[in-house]
Amino acid sequence: MNKMFLIALALFVAGCATVKKVESGSNMVSEHLSINIEGNWNHLDFPGIKPAQVWTMEGVTVDEFLIYSGIQGGQVMHPENASSSKLKNFVFRSAMQTEEIVSLLEGVLSRDNSTFKLLKLEPYPFGGKKGFRFEYERIRKVDNVQLRGIGFGAVDKGELYALLYHAPRLTFFPRHQARVEAIAKTALIR
Amino acid sequence: MAVTTTTKITMPLTLIFRAICARCVFLLLAIGLSLPAQADSRNLAPGFGDLPKGATILVMPPDVELFSISAGGVSEPKADWTEAANTHIHGALEKKSSSLGLMTRELSEKDADDLAEINTLHAAVARSIALHHMSGGNFALPTKDGKLDWSLGNAVQPIREKSGADYALFIWVRDSYASSERKVAMFALALFGVGITGGMQTGYASLVDLRTGQVMWFNKLLRGTGDLRDEESANETVKTLLAQFPESK
Amino acid sequence: MKRRRFLAAGGACCAGLATNNAWAQAITEYAAPHRFDRPDLATDEGGLWALMDREEKALRRSPLVVRDEKLKTYVQDIACRLGSDHCPDIRTFLVRTPLFNASMAPNGMMQIWTGLLLRVENEAQLAAVIGHEIGHYLQRHSVERLRDIKSKTAFGQVLGLFGLVGALGQIAVAASAFAYGREHERDADRIGAFLMHRAGYDVTESAKVWNNLLQETTAREGKEPEQTAPLFATHPAPPERRDDLVQLAKSLPGGKAGGEAYAERTRPFLDGWLQDEVKRGQYAESLVLLSRHIAGGVAPELMRYYRGEVYRLRGQEGDQDLALADYRTSALNPNPPPPVFRGIGLISRQRGQREEALQALSRYLELAPEAPDSAFIKTYISELSS
Repeated sequence: MNKMFLIALALFVAGCATVKKVESGSNMVSEHLSINIEGNWNHLDFPGIKPAQVWTMEGVTVDEFLIYSGIQGGQVMHPENASSSKLKNFVFRSAMQTEEIVSLLEGVLSRDNSTFKLLKLEPYPFGGKKGFRFEYERIRKVDNVQLRGIGFGAVDKGELYALLYHAPRLTFFPRHQARVEAIAKTALIR
Repeated sequence: MAVTTTTKITMPLTLIFRAICARCVFLLLAIGLSLPAQADSRNLAPGFGDLPKGATILVMPPDVELFSISAGGVSEPKADWTEAANTHIHGALEKKSSSLGLMTRELSEKDADDLAEINTLHAAVARSIALHHMSGGNFALPTKDGKLDWSLGNAVQPIREKSGADYALFIWVRDSYASSERKVAMFALALFGVGITGGMQTGYASLVDLRTGQVMWFNKLLRGTGDLRDEESANETVKTLLAQFPESK
Repeated sequence: MKRRRFLAAGGACCAGLATNNAWAQAITEYAAPHRFDRPDLATDEGGLWALMDREEKALRRSPLVVRDEKLKTYVQDIACRLGSDHCPDIRTFLVRTPLFNASMAPNGMMQIWTGLLLRVENEAQLAAVIGHEIGHYLQRHSVERLRDIKSKTAFGQVLGLFGLVGALGQIAVAASAFAYGREHERDADRIGAFLMHRAGYDVTESAKVWNNLLQETTAREGKEPEQTAPLFATHPAPPERRDDLVQLAKSLPGGKAGGEAYAERTRPFLDGWLQDEVKRGQYAESLVLLSRHIAGGVAPELMRYYRGEVYRLRGQEGDQDLALADYRTSALNPNPPPPVFRGIGLISRQRGQREEALQALSRYLELAPEAPDSAFIKTYISELSS
């Protein structure tokens, strides 16, 4: 306990967590992925997030917008997250087909024992590449909240680009879905 | 019994939250402990000041747990304390509402069962409000612009339909008390410069407009003092929890 | 006072078994305590009980609880027969989680996770676990444990959990802090075996449960068994335990396994549970489990399909061939699950076997036109056709 307090204070000084505003307009999420957003978002940065970025509108316990940009073959999804809780590692492989990538993302989202149900999977020109779009339902294990989600993805030059958004199926997912679909439409992978 | 709580250890609500809780919530603790529970305009949704007189408030079944911490730090649930706390909270709420000229209504267990999904939804929203709005600037969401601006939308309609009330009040409290052995341990460790918590009182109260789903008023509690076990101290806790509760005109 | 009576009853059961080796001797008579009264709120037991009441309320409202009446009744009836006089106090909840776990709270609330239902092979094995949990319940082991922990003065054993949660979350109590000690485990095993036997079940099945679990957990490299079976966190299960259970069974012969009844009752749910299992991504463990069920002749077309899926998703060298073999065997069944053809199609496509891929994927859509991925599969089909 004492040790943890010291860590906490150290992190406090170091500024372990930040929330930044993401402004409306064109956004270079990373070197190779750009998106266009209408209206501001909140970008949360925490240890254990990598290799994703996390944005939110209503708060970390309500909705979550995950941005994966340029995940390389052999890269582990959320390694710090996994190691701290001794959970399964999910590794992206460059040769993965769409259905395998969806399974990968399914696995990552089920890691905390939340349920996952795929509602729809269809082709989608994500980022200007041949990609996919899917819809899903989840029940979050820790607090029983029932979520709806959408995902978009494509592989370019062996690297994975994906967007995932989920929020409670009551009120919040319907509220923000259209904006996320719009963002996905504007995505460009260079 | 024991194993059902395993999942609570891995309590983070999302991928990120898992990481937060491992470290940053301690940070929150550090911040929270240094700031007194302040009540100010942060507690109120913009443009909301008073409750109309004669308005009905539905008091959702409060979620309250009181624990005793033993010398080694084991939290032990105390049913008699919890029951006493519930009684006191109930009493204090009644006093408060009658002083405001408001009517309260309560939900039966069966109704609460039916409204389970809305309750879990509200709890998730309340946690975000507590983290992103009430806990000092560190986690503030820029898009909220410093305002209490959260709404459950028409998800709350079933509550209104069942109760006919205008507002719903949600209360959540977790409270722990150092047992006497713990207090001895604290003293002993303090001699070696090691600090351990004696007990914490944490909770929130949230008032939701049942016509719009908007969270009109919210207050968070996080402190190392307070006592819900006896009536007088409990009244003080409830008073603090309901600080800046809107007046009624 | 009630408490003395139950302690006496518990004591009676264990009085004659003083020596170390004797513990494996089965009890032939067990006087269960009388039904428990709600303990005084002010006691530690009362505190636990009331906390569990609130847990139960939350559980009752959870979307993760299986609400199928027939399945619930089936499992509740088994628990009832094992609990006998205590039947009215036992309330069973089936929770959708793909891990092996069962627990019983001092207030009579029993939880069984679907991962457990997927793993046991017959009624007797289910009864073994339930009987064991009822054993803990009848002897009030959780309360004893709480008292034991409190008396420990290890400052290092701090449950920073309250601090960890801090401003936001729920209070939790460490599972390992509530782990049953070896004595408790032995008691529960003995009582469970007795209850099983009395209810007409074959006690040799109880050792198989642990054996199967151990095989699964050893398949996972370098990780703690508790991650496959949270049960292990609170029920330490060294290999000797399996042997001791075998010994117990020798003194309590006879009884049925109830394989057919169990298979029939659980069949409608297997598909969902297997999907949850595969999503865990714990391929080594899933393979052990699925292979065991295939060998046992349980819903072969389903098990082979899912083993095929695991091989396909694992994608190690040689896995595609293994997946195809399983898919094809499943496809020979009169009622193969439609996605078996998807599996064949996806692998064939990856291998550049266009005709086969086209045929299989088309068959899949024929059998399951409303499949969630139908729009996506159609693009594969049109690519392959051009």
